[in-house]
Amino acid sequence: MRDIFVEIWESIRRNKLRTCLTGFAVAWGIFMLITLLGAGNGIMNIFDSNSEGLDVNTMRVYGNTTSKPYGGFKQGRYIELDEYDLKLTASPVFADHIDEISATLSQSGFKMTYGKRYFDVSLNGVYPDVERLYRIEMLAGRFINRNDIENRRKVIVLTHLHARNFLGGKENYESLIGQRVKIGNLSFKIIGVRHGAENENDTEIYTPFTTLSTIFSKSNRIDMLSFTFHGLDTEEENEAFEKDYKRVLNNYHGAAPDDERAIWISNSFTMNMQMNKGRHVLDVFLWIIGLFTLLSGIVGVSNIMLITVKERTHEFGIRKAIGAGPWSIMKLIIAESVSITAFFGYIGMVLGMVACRVLDATLGSKPIEVLGESITIMENPSVGLGVALEATILLIVAGTLAGLIPASKASRVNPIEALRAE
Amino acid sequence: MLIELKGVNKTYDNGQPLHVLKGIDLSIDRGEFVSIMGASGSGKSTLLNILGILDNYDTGEYWLDGKLIKDLSERQAADYRNHMIGFIFQSFNLIGFKTAVENVELPLFYQGVSRHKRHMLAMEYLERLGLKDWASHYPNEMSGGQKQRVAIARALITHPQIILADEPTGALDSKTSVEVMDLLGQLNREEGVTLIVVTHESGVANCTDKIIHIKDGIIGEIEMNAQHNASAFGTSTIMK
Repeated sequence: MRDIFVEIWESIRRNKLRTCLTGFAVAWGIFMLITLLGAGNGIMNIFDSNSEGLDVNTMRVYGNTTSKPYGGFKQGRYIELDEYDLKLTASPVFADHIDEISATLSQSGFKMTYGKRYFDVSLNGVYPDVERLYRIEMLAGRFINRNDIENRRKVIVLTHLHARNFLGGKENYESLIGQRVKIGNLSFKIIGVRHGAENENDTEIYTPFTTLSTIFSKSNRIDMLSFTFHGLDTEEENEAFEKDYKRVLNNYHGAAPDDERAIWISNSFTMNMQMNKGRHVLDVFLWIIGLFTLLSGIVGVSNIMLITVKERTHEFGIRKAIGAGPWSIMKLIIAESVSITAFFGYIGMVLGMVACRVLDATLGSKPIEVLGESITIMENPSVGLGVALEATILLIVAGTLAGLIPASKASRVNPIEALRAE
Repeated sequence: MLIELKGVNKTYDNGQPLHVLKGIDLSIDRGEFVSIMGASGSGKSTLLNILGILDNYDTGEYWLDGKLIKDLSERQAADYRNHMIGFIFQSFNLIGFKTAVENVELPLFYQGVSRHKRHMLAMEYLERLGLKDWASHYPNEMSGGQKQRVAIARALITHPQIILADEPTGALDSKTSVEVMDLLGQLNREEGVTLIVVTHESGVANCTDKIIHIKDGIIGEIEMNAQHNASAFGTSTIMK
């Protein structure tokens, strides 16, 4: 092994400039590959962090308008979900897949009073899972829990914007916990203060779903029904399940059983799946660009090795005359090609990773103002150990391929003619 | 017999066929010091290439140390060359970017001998040829005679059955030529190395014990020359 490296070093040492220029092309190729993949990862990470909390498989079900006439109704009729849909969802038919069911209901037109201060608010009846789904950030107290739902407790979660107003501008939100506000004619206990996004006018007030639906809702309607599920592992299975589910709900609402639009389902699992597909396509695309950039470097190495072989023909003739087999000559050239490719490739890889860090420091951490909205373009652009390993294998394969033709040329040198050539 | 050639024919076919060797019959015994003499175009280089397993022949048989050398794969041929044959060339054919000792080591490298051992052996041979102080010099720092002695060390290091020397003095002045031929003679006498020298110089041939004349692809006269008096120019000089 050491002997081979000594030989390679001797050969490279004689052609430093040539080797470096060729190596630059390889380094550039790998640099581009790593930087592109890193940037791609950075962009995908943004999508990932936006859809965080949806990692559990959840379907959200909304009422929509019918797409075909059925049972004496015209098409275009609006379907409104109600509590019977909750019962249907909980029926044993779906028990194989559905785990936890939750629903939301919002009703506007309430006056919330605390002392002399009041707000016009709409109430959102929710289940505890909303905290995770909407990524609610609690500043004080707690969010709605199972007991609140079961006992239909009259409790609410406010935003810190309301709380600040109630406290007269102070921010000791803890002091509000356990206090009572009046909504309509009823007294509600404040159990939590959450962060409300100021620029998005986020003033949703949460109360247990059951409380809102029993006390205020006359029609039993619900806005959105959601449930977590398991055991649906492919797109086909999800589609089949959604079809069955829609058929049951359509039947109840008097819509055509095969009406795809009467009920609208947003499925986090298939959405994730599609996003992964998108990520995969992006990855493949970036790999192709990177590989083609690398290809020019590889051709360069191959070219240089051909020249080297031509220059060393006489030497190979000598080696063969004194007993070098074809394979040992071939090995020499391939090893040299792999060494050049791997060495410069690694330089490119390290530089690519440095470039990813630079991207992270410039685009990654700071949001950019685009048309008045602040957008973060990428988050933590970097490539994992897996990509580094793949790139290493790629370099070795590429180096071998680059050396193959020159090496077989060298191994076929005829010693008689090679010795004559000088 | 160490070398046994029976009816060896060789035809080159570059456009029109050229019958170079026309049935060579030749035997050389172990320990002989032989020269093959002939004008250019006589086929002596081709014969040397066949003897050195660098080239194939068309018909006939070539036995080397009891092995039939015919239709060998490249790998086998390389192996036989490595173990059984040592080459000395007119233009030395040392590898320019390797030092003297590295050049001498090279055949052992292809035998898979460990680095340490082959370095020791190579130093030993260089010392015997009086080049110990030149071991770490590159070929272009040495004189022609020194280079040829390095080449001889390289040829000797694997203890080959035969050493083939192709015009070994062709690039040397007459004084150095005498020294090199004396060295070869000495190796033959003292160590029993079988030596075959190909030359067109009668002075060089005169240094050997047996002169095989080749002409137009056939063996002509075989001259016994134990007294080294075959040269028309005296016995102790090589005419340049």
